[in-house]
Amino acid sequence: MNNRFLAIIFPLLALSVLCMRPVHAAEKPVINPPPTAKDWTDLGKLPDWSGVWTHKRSDQNAQMKTNPPPWNAKAAAQIEFQYAEEKAGRPPPLFVNCLPEAMPAWMLVTHNAMEILFTPGRVTMLGESDGNRLRRIYTDGRPHPPDPDPTFHGHSIGHWEGDTLVVDTVAIHPQTYIAISEAQGIPNNGDMHITERIRLAEPDVLHDELTIIAPKVLTKPWKTTRIFFRQRLRRVDIVEGVCLEGYFAPGSDKDGNATFVPIPHDVGGNRIPPK
Amino acid sequence: MQPSLRRFAVYSAFSSLATVTYPATAHHSTTMFDHAAVVSIAGTVKEVHWTNPHVAIFVYGVSKEGDEPALWVFEMTSPGNLVRAGGWSRTAVKPGDKVTVSMAPLRDGSRGGALKKITMVDTGVSLNADIRDQEGTIKE
Repeated sequence: MNNRFLAIIFPLLALSVLCMRPVHAAEKPVINPPPTAKDWTDLGKLPDWSGVWTHKRSDQNAQMKTNPPPWNAKAAAQIEFQYAEEKAGRPPPLFVNCLPEAMPAWMLVTHNAMEILFTPGRVTMLGESDGNRLRRIYTDGRPHPPDPDPTFHGHSIGHWEGDTLVVDTVAIHPQTYIAISEAQGIPNNGDMHITERIRLAEPDVLHDELTIIAPKVLTKPWKTTRIFFRQRLRRVDIVEGVCLEGYFAPGSDKDGNATFVPIPHDVGGNRIPPK
Repeated sequence: MQPSLRRFAVYSAFSSLATVTYPATAHHSTTMFDHAAVVSIAGTVKEVHWTNPHVAIFVYGVSKEGDEPALWVFEMTSPGNLVRAGGWSRTAVKPGDKVTVSMAPLRDGSRGGALKKITMVDTGVSLNADIRDQEGTIKE
């Protein structure tokens, strides 16, 4: 075997071995880099969204009539039935199981306040009264994962266009409601895509302009703006909220330990009155 | 023990023993209450459940003079919402307080309702429980 032959064969062999390595071993794992001092400083350039944000209930109610979702025929029939049931004193119990109100219902029909936190690469929304209300919106430039696990609040990425946070959310459980009240709503049934433009419309008024694409239940994208107003009084700070807490009452066990004891509720979500 | 108090004790015992699964209280419409038929209950507060997502107040009382006193339960919104509506705190209404309650009764006729307003007889202090009171009423 002459040297010239080896000079050709060895690089070819080496190349073929390299090509045979699993692809993933060649990729560098993605890390979330530690924020720099500049990252923290840059947060100060963002608009001020601190404080307690409470939904504008009167506008939620008004939009039930003025801006209903473009339901398809099947969904519209179910909504009509829900209206009739509620009017008859049997409100459909959409949210009585303490699962998250989830996206997009949390933004659409919440009756509870929230706060919004900025940290480098992320905006976090934390809701009250229901400890599992939490949205993580990644603003670090990442894309959606190729095949994200479906969740109640979906996978959200965002970027700033001036003072407007633009959010794109996918991978939401098909079971989550597109709701227009706590008694009228239809599961999105899959393939839902939500975009939002969130901005201060006034110094203490936040607008969330949603576009909801839900081809299984809507005939076209539905645009709606939800309004939140700000409070800064310390006494109205967000408090802990554990939805299942109301399912129990303080009690004690046979050893005198303080315990939570279950109490019965009716199908509508109220404690059953004593007989 | 008065019969109604015995019922309360039985209810409490049942509460502590209940292990079956019930739908949990959560976020829901309130048309199971007849909002057009406000009823007044006078009595004494037995328990206050200052809990999310709905606060409840248990009152041992009557809807009209001459009735046999009985235990009622009144549902409200969340602690956070009540605080923001104004005047409320965990101790604003306490067991033992003599109260009058305006409430929308459950349509099924059982002794429950949605609390609209509660007045402490000894102090004359009244508290509303309307979630809509939050809107724009509390500003710096």
